Amino acid sequence: MTLPTAVFPLAVTAFGAIAVLLLDAFGKRDSKTPLAVLSLMILAASAVLAGRLWGRSAFGFGGLMRLDDAAILVSMIVLLAAAFTVLLGWQWNRRLDAAFGEFYGLLLLAAAGLMIMAQTADLLVVFLGLEVFSVSAYGLTGLKRNDDKASEAAVKYFLIGSFAGAFMVFGLAILFGLNESFGITQTAACLGTGLPAQLGFGFLLAGLGFKLALVPFHMWAPDVYEGAPTPIAGFFSIAPKAAGFLVLSRLVAAVPKDVWKGLPIFPFLYAVAAATLIIGNLAALRQKNLKRLLAYSSISHAGTMLIAVLAGDGASLLFYLAVYLFMGLGAFAALTAMSAPGREYVHLDDFAGAGFRYPWIGAIFTVLLLSLAGFPPTGGFLAKFLVFSAGVRAGLVPLVVLGVVTSLIAVAYYLRVIVAMYMRDPAPGVDIEAENPPALLVLFLGLVGVLQLGLFPANILHFIRQAAASIF
Amino acid sequence: MTALVVSFAVFGFLALVMLSVNAALGPRRRSNPAQQTRFECGSPELQEGIRPFPVKFSLVAFLFLLLDVEAAFYFPWALILREIKGPALAAMIFYTAILAAGLAYAWAKGAFDWD
Repeated sequence: MTLPTAVFPLAVTAFGAIAVLLLDAFGKRDSKTPLAVLSLMILAASAVLAGRLWGRSAFGFGGLMRLDDAAILVSMIVLLAAAFTVLLGWQWNRRLDAAFGEFYGLLLLAAAGLMIMAQTADLLVVFLGLEVFSVSAYGLTGLKRNDDKASEAAVKYFLIGSFAGAFMVFGLAILFGLNESFGITQTAACLGTGLPAQLGFGFLLAGLGFKLALVPFHMWAPDVYEGAPTPIAGFFSIAPKAAGFLVLSRLVAAVPKDVWKGLPIFPFLYAVAAATLIIGNLAALRQKNLKRLLAYSSISHAGTMLIAVLAGDGASLLFYLAVYLFMGLGAFAALTAMSAPGREYVHLDDFAGAGFRYPWIGAIFTVLLLSLAGFPPTGGFLAKFLVFSAGVRAGLVPLVVLGVVTSLIAVAYYLRVIVAMYMRDPAPGVDIEAENPPALLVLFLGLVGVLQLGLFPANILHFIRQAAASIF
Repeated sequence: MTALVVSFAVFGFLALVMLSVNAALGPRRRSNPAQQTRFECGSPELQEGIRPFPVKFSLVAFLFLLLDVEAAFYFPWALILREIKGPALAAMIFYTAILAAGLAYAWAKGAFDWD
């Protein structure tokens, strides 16, 4: 029995997760640093194994596993997000009473689940991966066991997530009844055949939409981001989006282009994108808690990514995900750095004057916020530009106009944070413990990534085009 | 496919009919303070509702689930073991090892210490 090489990156992450959990249980040591180092090594090994398969489109388990370039790229994004999260949690966990070995074990399991989602062309396996991610995510959300908000968030996430999972299975059952296959190609081929197929696809999209936090399935996101440990909230803001949007664009790419726009599901997705852009941005305007603000911001970014999916443009979607990895997680790194033993500072008022008191955090956070808002010369601008021009080429002009207008609204709430940091008197009682090298490293890497992708995107775009060509 | 549409329509219609008939024919609901009590039998209550019980029972339920799903997987495996032999045995040993790791984790974390 020979094992296909396509399994190795996933296997390393999954068994690494089990090893970390067992080491934590039997090690009985107070310091969690060895676990963090081991997790980083596992993630790096998995990334190397995945990278070596670039350009070869490996398959495994009778085609159930499909490690094409797009899957490799998204796996890389997920692994990098997990590695950043490990670095962010390193010190933060000890300060905020969340120093459990499960942080690393469950994080690796969640990453493995998302890799399963990305590395398949079979919807049942997608569901399997989604559940592996979700079950780990519920645990990660409630990690601060003595915190009421964390427990509330975990229960909410669990109930709504299970509900969404049931929706998805129902949709899959209908689709399987119609064409006796879970394959994405076969499923997409039967979409034009009538109402039941549309219904099944609709349920499937509702399930996926919950996980991607698309409006109207977004209600859980702000509460979960607020209750979850800050590094984990950063992981939630990018990793599930990368895997979920890849699945979605695989589905869309498998539908013939001329059929796609005639399907009743197209206006449904169109409306979801419009609602996500509007509600995500308008709700963010009212937030004073930066974790909730970033939650709504990530919802609105999901709306922009949905434009790329609707336009059927894989390259701009993957580029957007790559940029969002750096600016989203970078912003959460800034929030993570603003902590002291026993408390963290995530309210807008806590950031008053922070730009002068903590110049490095303030300056980098400013660049990342400008990137989130879409100012040139950052990666955020180029990503939005690529998505919007793809949208115009695909004839989605009203949606693109809405996207541009809501981006302008978004500038208001991002700038409000910058204004607070540089134009208000320092807040009394804010006293962070600045010695947090791993979190500052992530912050710095976020800055590098955002500028690299904004100023010299050619190399990366080359890889991303190659990956997008392999989506289908 | 039309059968699917028709069955959806029929079931939806039936559900609507049952609900509306119930509302039309049923007695009008009148509120009574006795209805608001925890026990609707009219006698005054002797104690406060159900007493809280240890949350540890939920852990037992989880561990039961771990081994229960395992059993559900063993049955179809046993049926085809004679046909596939070696690889099937290897796969199941592998699977059981993962489950055993889960059990060992729970044990080491003190899931079986009741106090």
